[in-house]
Amino acid sequence: MSERRPFIRPQPRYWWAHKPYLSYTLRELSGVAVAAYGAILLAGLICLWRGPDAYAVYRQILASDWSFLVHLILLAAVLWHVVTWFQILPKTMPKLILRGRQLPQRQVTAMALLFAVVCSATLLIVVVAMGAMS
Amino acid sequence: MKPIDHTSPKRSVAPVFWLLFGAGGMLSALFGPALIILTGFMIPHGWGLPANFGDFPHMLAFACHPIGKLVVLVVIALFFWHGAERMFLTLKDMRAGKPLVLRLITYGLAGVLTLVTASILLAIGF
Repeated sequence: MSERRPFIRPQPRYWWAHKPYLSYTLRELSGVAVAAYGAILLAGLICLWRGPDAYAVYRQILASDWSFLVHLILLAAVLWHVVTWFQILPKTMPKLILRGRQLPQRQVTAMALLFAVVCSATLLIVVVAMGAMS
Repeated sequence: MKPIDHTSPKRSVAPVFWLLFGAGGMLSALFGPALIILTGFMIPHGWGLPANFGDFPHMLAFACHPIGKLVVLVVIALFFWHGAERMFLTLKDMRAGKPLVLRLITYGLAGVLTLVTASILLAIGF
């Protein structure tokens, strides 16, 4: 009796740390950065709930050099998330047909990126305007 | 050929998590950079904003307003769900554990933190 012995391609244990999968791993890690930023906001909310003293400590930490560095890393990771997110967008959405021609994926990505820049810039401008008026 | 059984379709809960993942991904892609610049740099260091912009009374007023509450809940919860889905899929691909265990850890954490956020927003009051 011969048993079925299918060929299973061997895969190194740490395949995700090597090219070409490394870029995939880095993209997925940007999700951790997004969640970590959410945790920083939640920490602020908890301090706000606990009272002025706890909130003062939170503000002190946020004004520190360490917080500056952490936010710099988070910003870089989220910018990477923005770019990769809109690179995936044309692959997941229905084809855009314009005058009988399919809109190239790059163009969809570029338009979405432009929209993201407008969204973020608008938010910043609105908040700065609110601050100036208060 | 077997006839398709319409009476008992196998429904998956995956679309729910994909929706949360997608919503969090889109929100963080569109407004994430501005939010980090605001709360990480401009407010703590007073760049371009009045010094009292992020102080206790102002932030408390924001967290007490219904719209402010909604903004805070949506941003924090969706960011957690986005990270949870990404971590779950990546850990599954890394074969870090059984999918059910990984789901419980990642979705569980996002679920608990969502509940914590909602409870604190309620505890802060209106």
